[in-house]
Amino acid sequence: MEAQGEPVVVELKIPCKPEYVGVARLAILGVASRMRFSYDQVEDVRLAVGEACTTAVEWGAKNKRDNTDIVVRSSISNDKLMIDVIDGAGQRQETPAEQDSIEPESLGALLITLLVDEVTVTPLNGGTHVKMVKYAG
Amino acid sequence: MNFKIDTYSLDGGVPVIKLEGEVDVYTAPQLKQQMISMLEAGTRQMVIDLTNVEYFDSTALGVLIGGLKRIRERDGNLALICPSPRIRRVFEITGLDKIFDIYSSADEAKTGIEIIR
Repeated sequence: MEAQGEPVVVELKIPCKPEYVGVARLAILGVASRMRFSYDQVEDVRLAVGEACTTAVEWGAKNKRDNTDIVVRSSISNDKLMIDVIDGAGQRQETPAEQDSIEPESLGALLITLLVDEVTVTPLNGGTHVKMVKYAG
Repeated sequence: MNFKIDTYSLDGGVPVIKLEGEVDVYTAPQLKQQMISMLEAGTRQMVIDLTNVEYFDSTALGVLIGGLKRIRERDGNLALICPSPRIRRVFEITGLDKIFDIYSSADEAKTGIEIIR
């Protein structure tokens, strides 16, 4: 997939439920495999998107808002892949006890920061927007 | 769903949970349940075989961490068989390769595990 000028966008919407996270991973694998990423980089992207979607699913369950969707939007350029994971899973408010524990969600956040080159997390009205960038080459 | 869970025993009777496919937020609870069942049945030494695992995420890591904690509370131990560099990498980038005993094969696990009698 060679993109000149404007990025090419591939977008997927999945239910915010555990059984659909694998669908998002498969889609991003398809996108990343066609770019100039190494095998390890493709795997990094797949794992990072999996983690971002999983976090949304977990918060959706916690906030009793799992009847919502997760949008995974990939913007493909020659030199980078930008992925937006946007959910309506409610607010992410940790209790002080949760902040100190080695829970899977902290591991997930740690993994994302190690797997991609840039990540920003922005609270939305009723959800969260995670933006990740992986540079190719 | 691309996931299978099975059990077998190493020589000496050490129980092994064999996983296949993708271990994630949807399938990891089955691993957790299997580990809990074995602990409640008195197992103090357990091996998790990740040979045929092709995806392993933070939810799966969390289940293993929880299992390790519970089994160590019973003076037992948990080891992993993980020949795949890609899956092993998930442990390495989180630093969890220093927490778990990770073997590259069942044979290595057999010789490496201290049998608790």
